[in-house]
Amino acid sequence: MMKRLILMVAAVVALGVFASSGAQEGHPLKGSWLGEWSGNTVHGDNILLILDWDGKAITGMINPGTDNMPLKAASLDPNGWVVKLQADGKDKDGSTVSYVIEGKLENLELPNRSINGTWSSNKGRGAFTASRQ
Amino acid sequence: MNVRSITGWCLSLGVAIAAQLASAHHAVVAKFDDTKPTELTGIVTNVDWRNPHVHVFVNVTRADGTLENWAVELESTVLLGRSGWKHDTLKPGDAVRVDGPTARDGSRQVWGMRVVATQGGRQVYNVTDKAPTVARSQQKPAPRGANGKPLLGAADAVGGYWAYPTSTVLQQAGANVRMDADGVLARIADASKVAPFQPWALGVYQHRQQRHLADDPGFLNCKNPGAVRQFQTPYGVQFAEDAARQRVFVLIGGGNRNYRIIYMDGRDQQGQVQGDDDNPLYYGRAVAHWENDTFVVNTTGFNEDFWFTNGGLPHTNLLSLVERFTRTDYNTLRYDVTVNDPGAYTQPWSSSWELKWVEGEMPAYFCQDNRS
Repeated sequence: MMKRLILMVAAVVALGVFASSGAQEGHPLKGSWLGEWSGNTVHGDNILLILDWDGKAITGMINPGTDNMPLKAASLDPNGWVVKLQADGKDKDGSTVSYVIEGKLENLELPNRSINGTWSSNKGRGAFTASRQ
Repeated sequence: MNVRSITGWCLSLGVAIAAQLASAHHAVVAKFDDTKPTELTGIVTNVDWRNPHVHVFVNVTRADGTLENWAVELESTVLLGRSGWKHDTLKPGDAVRVDGPTARDGSRQVWGMRVVATQGGRQVYNVTDKAPTVARSQQKPAPRGANGKPLLGAADAVGGYWAYPTSTVLQQAGANVRMDADGVLARIADASKVAPFQPWALGVYQHRQQRHLADDPGFLNCKNPGAVRQFQTPYGVQFAEDAARQRVFVLIGGGNRNYRIIYMDGRDQQGQVQGDDDNPLYYGRAVAHWENDTFVVNTTGFNEDFWFTNGGLPHTNLLSLVERFTRTDYNTLRYDVTVNDPGAYTQPWSSSWELKWVEGEMPAYFCQDNRS
């Protein structure tokens, strides 16, 4: 419970720092994303993604400030706007949890576009949804 | 251009912000489906003569006797006014026949491709406006300032501005892709020829094209016509050269009627012209110098909150521009631009067009937000 509360507070603080003001007409993944990876018993149901584009690669962090999982790999295929994100985290015992998020970027034209799909790891799997803030 | 003029400009900017909200400007095909033409015959009930688009409301009696009120959308008051039309060219009670494409959303709206006053059969509200032409025998060289360089602005109290761009769209030199004046492609299959896109940027461009540019923030939200776009508007740009402070203002007649500052005082480009890496700007940070008779402007530090050109080509905050302005004679300004955005394109690319000198003040046109 406390961890979830801390995550939510961190999410709000991080959004205050990173969130862009509305429009984002550049790379469609760039920005702050808030959502859920349902059924994640290790890192909780809520997820905050900070994504950036440096001209060559998509970079970013999952749950900055709490779980601090930097992206290992990220891709966006404009044929179908398929998003794939990979990152490693630690569970409470310090064991590695390797995440793969796969989804489709929807409502590309909107500032609050969304990614909908699934997440999976060596500890579980479930539905994934996030919308750009 | 003097301080009073610049102050007036700033006041007009305030007026624009405070202006009554109304329906937004847009690419015609964004709202109207040219595969669904119609012909209407009816009686004018009202003429709403204001920007961004004039509307004529027409009562149409259907075969079964029912009465429908249709909105006929036309160009801006500026373009219609330049073509000689006035708010009272048509009056309530006049009979008209209208041809044009109907609204994509099925509402009773039509783009007035052709409006004919039934009595007399005269076509009205058509745009015949063209760039002023100068006979070869009357052509003059570019006026020059005290520094010997060509003036980008007016040489006398009559004033003037640059308008009627020979191209209102951006594509790499030699591409010759067919598109309309708003940048809507004749064939989306040609999209990859327009510029050397990165894959994601091509996908975004195609998506915007498939949606007929309906999401253009320059029209929907009056976002600034930053970067190249300020030289593509039909309402022109005006240069105000402030020699004492070594800077040039570019007053923009279209979009949200804003201005851009170009510095020539030798300052560093980064972090000193308002904004910095954490505060990118719609107009970026621009510094300039003269190369012989060409005014060369380097600009970086753009934000990603706007479309940098008509037609929806994407850009990133890595965008930088080299713009070269050459007043080749009194009435002609050549504009050459090199686009370098390694975030969206695989290599730098260039384009160019000309603008024509128009005497007098720029017309009053204000973009109005679509959130009324």
